[in-house]
Amino acid sequence: METTTTNNDALLSARHIRKAYGSFIALRDISFDLPRGERHALIGPNGAGKSTFIACIAGQLPGVQGEMLFAGESILSLTPAQLARKGIGRTFQISRAFLEMTVLENMMAAFVITSGGWAGLRARAFKQMLEPAFAMLETVGMAERAGDRVADLSLGDRKRLEFGMALAGDPDLLLLDEPTAGMSIKERHFLMEMVAERVDAEGRTLLFVEHDIDVVMKIAARVSVLVRGAILAVGTPQEIKANDEVQAVYLGGGH
Amino acid sequence: MSANPLNKPLERTGQDDAAAVRARQWRRIGGAALAWQWLAPCLIGVLALCWLLPTSYTTLLTQIMIMALFASSLNLLMSDGHMVSFGHAAYFGLGAYGFTLSVAKGGLAPELALLVGPLVAGIGGVLFGALCVRLTEIYMAMLTLACAQITYTVLFQWYDFTGGDTGITGFMTPRLGLSEQGYASAVLIVVALCLLAMWWIVKSPLGLSIRAVGQDRYRAEALGLGARRVQLVAFVIAAFFAGIAGTLHAVLHGSAFPDYAGLSVTLDGLIMVVIGGLNSFAGGVWGAVIYELLRAGVSKISHEWELVLGLLLLAICLLAPRGFMGVVRRLRRMLAGGQG
Repeated sequence: METTTTNNDALLSARHIRKAYGSFIALRDISFDLPRGERHALIGPNGAGKSTFIACIAGQLPGVQGEMLFAGESILSLTPAQLARKGIGRTFQISRAFLEMTVLENMMAAFVITSGGWAGLRARAFKQMLEPAFAMLETVGMAERAGDRVADLSLGDRKRLEFGMALAGDPDLLLLDEPTAGMSIKERHFLMEMVAERVDAEGRTLLFVEHDIDVVMKIAARVSVLVRGAILAVGTPQEIKANDEVQAVYLGGGH
Repeated sequence: MSANPLNKPLERTGQDDAAAVRARQWRRIGGAALAWQWLAPCLIGVLALCWLLPTSYTTLLTQIMIMALFASSLNLLMSDGHMVSFGHAAYFGLGAYGFTLSVAKGGLAPELALLVGPLVAGIGGVLFGALCVRLTEIYMAMLTLACAQITYTVLFQWYDFTGGDTGITGFMTPRLGLSEQGYASAVLIVVALCLLAMWWIVKSPLGLSIRAVGQDRYRAEALGLGARRVQLVAFVIAAFFAGIAGTLHAVLHGSAFPDYAGLSVTLDGLIMVVIGGLNSFAGGVWGAVIYELLRAGVSKISHEWELVLGLLLLAICLLAPRGFMGVVRRLRRMLAGGQG
């Protein structure tokens, strides 16, 4: 099934992606297609290159080789801000909400671009942002914490806030890098069920990195297994679970 | 565990609709509500001081107000944009020289030239800012220093045009011919309007973006905010207001000297921001008040102003890293806690 030309039907299509940090090769020859509307999980042991691949798509790494199309357009040369405006929203592995701001200010900042941009100085611009910002806080269950500083939030609350912030840009493609890290099992399933629901209801495409295999099985339609910078296997969760090679390097080795 | 009073839901009053309730909640949480009830008495109080103080003190008061504007412009850059400038005096100097030269060499009416000063500073901000935002953190700070030293050197060396180290004097009556009291009042109005404008900017979507980029540029970029462009805009705004301060300063003394763009003015500004309190809008104003009053007071009774300043900075950095406003906030919280 290896192809050499990019797939124009997929929302995201990557070919021969390679990224090296000095002499360390983080990604070697990754080819990857993500159909529109799919919920896709990226799994693999630590250091496999999952976060690097997410960062490549979001435009945050220099010196990425290969070819990457998003909605049919080549994107490797675009800046993170341009990509965000084109419809790629992301969260970070380590929570990166704005620590010195309140929850509401964080959400407002996330709505700046979709409400006409930062050049808007008028009070009217804020009025346009308030309604969606509050609505999004309610969606992710953070409305009651609107006045709290992010520095005072628990990790789980920060992750929920950040998911809402990523949705604020109305992204076609949502990249979540370990959205449930540091959460309790209950919190994980709660968050990811909400994510799946929003993604489906709003017709978005989801690519997420996840270590909890139960969450992956429940949320993902397809799974890619990344090992040492290369894709070892792609398939439905059941196929991945039944794959001996994957069992050997990943699923069997854990815990 | 919602002990935070900001989280208490607001109730509708009168014919408020839901949107108005939200707007009020935003003003509260975002700290965007101006304390008008304090502002008006403050303004009237300072205005009264302008006219009641002995004339020699009026000039000090004018100086304080000008430096309050300068420090606040630097504070916007530092507290909101998280950009440290080691060269903010460049824009103070450009404002002063922009005004002075357009009168002395350009033959412009001083009243018109008032507009040229800030404009020149703003243009300087565009040129230098575009350079500085290419780097981050200490490297950016070094670039701001380099730009300011270049400005200083040009002002200092270009004898034919700027008069070099002798500066430009005697080209106009100081204070545009106004009395000390009259000029102090005019400066009060201008500075108050500028501070209001800065407040408005900080609390606008632009201000939110400046703070977002300042706190975490990668996060901000992932939200679609062009970090460099936002930083450049912040830089130009800070330069423009510093230019207004420089212009007011040149008018006050009816002169311009290269020192206006020198390192010591930058340091004055940095120290004021730290004394007044980082991350507080009023920090720049209070820093200027405390710094200038201390400088004037201490140098009357002793020659050891630098020693006093050193000790003060030590105390602030070790005991009250958020400066005067941090102490005020702490006291307020203690008082509120004592009552509740």
